Amino acid sequence: MTDQLKNIKNIARKVGSAKKPIFITVIVLLGITFLLDIFVVDRIFDILVYLYIALGALFVLYGIPSLYASRRLMLYYWQRASKNKLAVGGLAFILFLILLAIIGPLFTADPTAVNFEEKNVPPLGFALEESVYDLKTGQFITHQTTGTGEHPLGTDDKGRDLMAMIISGASVSLQVGLFATGIAIALGTLIGVSAAYLGGKVDNVLMRFTDIMMTFPFFLLLVFIVFIFGPNLALIVVIIGLTGWTGTARLIRSESLSLRTREFVMASKALGASDGRIVLSHLIPNVISLIIVIATLSIPGVILAEAALSFIGLGDPNVASWGMILRAGQQNLDTTWWVAVAPGVMLFFTVLAFNFLGDGLRDAFDPRSNV
Amino acid sequence: MKKTWLRDYIIKRLLLAIFIAWAVLTITFVLVRVGPTSPADKYLANLTVRGQDTAQVVAAIEARYGLDRPIYEQYASYIVNLGRGDWGWSLSTSMPVMELIKTHWIYSFQLIFLSSIFAAIIGILIGIYSAVRQYSKTDYAATFFSFIGISIPNFWLGVMLILLFAVKFGLFKTYYDTGLPLLSLANLKQLILPVITLGTGMLAGYTRYTRSAMLDNLRKEFVRTARAKGLPERTVIGKHVFRNAILPLITIIMFDLGSIVFGGAYLTEIVFGIPGLGQISFNAIFADDYAVVVAVTVISAFLVLMINLATDITYTYLDPRIRYD
Repeated sequence: MTDQLKNIKNIARKVGSAKKPIFITVIVLLGITFLLDIFVVDRIFDILVYLYIALGALFVLYGIPSLYASRRLMLYYWQRASKNKLAVGGLAFILFLILLAIIGPLFTADPTAVNFEEKNVPPLGFALEESVYDLKTGQFITHQTTGTGEHPLGTDDKGRDLMAMIISGASVSLQVGLFATGIAIALGTLIGVSAAYLGGKVDNVLMRFTDIMMTFPFFLLLVFIVFIFGPNLALIVVIIGLTGWTGTARLIRSESLSLRTREFVMASKALGASDGRIVLSHLIPNVISLIIVIATLSIPGVILAEAALSFIGLGDPNVASWGMILRAGQQNLDTTWWVAVAPGVMLFFTVLAFNFLGDGLRDAFDPRSNV
Repeated sequence: MKKTWLRDYIIKRLLLAIFIAWAVLTITFVLVRVGPTSPADKYLANLTVRGQDTAQVVAAIEARYGLDRPIYEQYASYIVNLGRGDWGWSLSTSMPVMELIKTHWIYSFQLIFLSSIFAAIIGILIGIYSAVRQYSKTDYAATFFSFIGISIPNFWLGVMLILLFAVKFGLFKTYYDTGLPLLSLANLKQLILPVITLGTGMLAGYTRYTRSAMLDNLRKEFVRTARAKGLPERTVIGKHVFRNAILPLITIIMFDLGSIVFGGAYLTEIVFGIPGLGQISFNAIFADDYAVVVAVTVISAFLVLMINLATDITYTYLDPRIRYD
C-alpha cells in the first residue's frame, strides 16, 4: 500500500471519528442561517436548499460509511440485482432522468416563456387541423399546423415549449421523491432503531404512536394542509416526509429486534461500546440494504402524491411539475391532447422504473430467493 | 371465552377510532383557525366589490358565524353542535353541510363499490390462474401487466381513457350526467370508464397478492396430501389452496378500501366530474368553504378507521386461530 493511500485512509478515519461533532455543527449552522434567513433578511434561500444540505450531510456522514462498512455485501447484492433485466432497465431510466433534469435545462428553451404566435403546435410528426376565421375572405378556412423540430414535443395553449416543461417537471418530481423519501426514511430509521434498541416502555409508546399514524388518512390531510397554508413545494415535501415514515419504522424495528440479540452486538457491548456506537456501526450497516429497498419502493408513492396534488390545482405555482402540465392538458383535451399525454407518460415510466428497481433489489437482498 | 376478549377488543378499538377521529377533527379545526386566510376573506372580497365597507363586512360575517369569539369557545360550540348532528353551514352551496353530504355520498359509494367488486373478481381470477400456471407465458404477461397497473397514475389513466373513448371515438360522454337514475343501464354505462380508472391499480395489486398467496399455499404439505388421496385438481385448488390464500387477501382488499380508495376515488371523481364526496370537498376547497372540507375530512377518516376495525373483526371469524389482545 502506498503512503498516499494510507494518508487518505487516515484522513477518512479521522473524519469518521469526528462524525457526530461535524454533523451537529452542520445542523446548528443550518439552523442559525435558517432563522437569520426568516427573521432578519427576507428569505434568500429556498427551504429546499436547507433540505439539500441537511440530507446531504446526513448521507455523507452516516449513509456512505454504512455502505462502505458493508461494501463486499453491497457488491454481492449488486451482482445479484444486475441479473434482473427489468431492475437494470429501471436504474438506467432513473439515471437518464437525473441527467435530463441536471443538464436538460441548458439545452431547452425557458419553460415559462409564453409565446402566443406559436401556441398549440403539435409534436413532431403530428398535425393539427383547426377551423380559423380568415379576415381577408371573411370565411372559415381549415388551417393546418404541423409539428416542427424547434418544439419536438409541441407547445401548449400559451405557446410554452412542452419539452422544456417536461424537463423542468423531471427535476421537480425527482426532488420531491428524493427529499420526502429522505426525510421519511431518516425519521423511520431513527424511530424504528430506537424502539428496537431501547425496548420496554419507549418501544411501546413509539409503536402505539406508529399504529395511530398508520390509520390517519393522509392524502385528505395533505390536501387540507396545502389548502390552508398555500401551495409551496418545500411544504409539500416536508409534510409528505413527516407523515410517510410509519412503514419504514415498523420494518426497521422488526429487523433491528432480531439484530440486537446477535453475538456480534453482544460482543461489542461486552467490550464497552456505547449505545450510539452499537446503533451506528452495527445496527444501521446491517439494515442499510432494507433501507435502500424501502426508499426505492416508497419514492413512486411520493412522486404520485405530489403529482396528484398539482393535478387537482394545489401544486406550487412557481414550478412546472408534471401534475400541473397534466392539469392544463386535461382542460384542452379535444385540441391539444399531447399536453396531457406527455407528462403522464413520463410519470408512468418514472414510477415503473422505481418499482422495477425496488422489486429487483428486494429479490437481490432476500437470501431465500434465487435470482 | 372468545366472545369476551373479542368484545373487549372491539370496545378498545372503537375508543381508539373515536380518539383518532377527534384528533383529526381538532387538527383540522385548529389548522383552519390558525391558517393565514380567514374563512371570511372570500366573502369579503365578493362583498367589497359591491362597494360595502370592508371593516363592517368582516365584523358582520365574523359575528354571523361566531368567528369573533376566542378559539376555544368556537371549538366548544362546534363540538356541541356536532353532538346534535350539525356539521355547520356550507357557505358556497347555502345549505347545511349534513344535507350536502347526504345527497352526495351515494355517488362516491357507487363508484367505490363497483370498482372494488370489479378489481377483486378479475384480480383474484387472474392471480389464481397465474399461480396455477406459474412460469407460463400467461403468468409472465399477468405479472408484467400488474406492474404496469400498479405504476400507472390513476388520474392520468382517467384522462387518457376520456381522450381515447370519449373524445376520439365518442363512445362515452366526457362528463358524468347526474340526471340519470342511479339504478339504470345508462348510469352503469357512464360509470365504466371511472370504474376502470379507479379499479386498475387495485386489480393489479390483487393479482399480485393472490398469485403470491396461492403460490405460498401450493407448496404446503396438505396440498400434497389432498392430491395424494386422489382429489380432482379443481377441488385441490378451489377448496384447499384458495380457501387458505383468501384470508390475507380479504385484509388487503379491505385495507385498500380504507387507504388507497379514498385517495383514488377523490381524484377519479374530479377527473370525471362525478359529484361524490371527493368532488364536493374539492369544490369547497376552491370556494374556501371550510365547514365542508372539515366535515368530509373527518367523516372519511372515521370511515377508514371503521373499515379497518371491521377487517380485524372479520379476520377473527375467518381464522379462529387469531387472537388480538
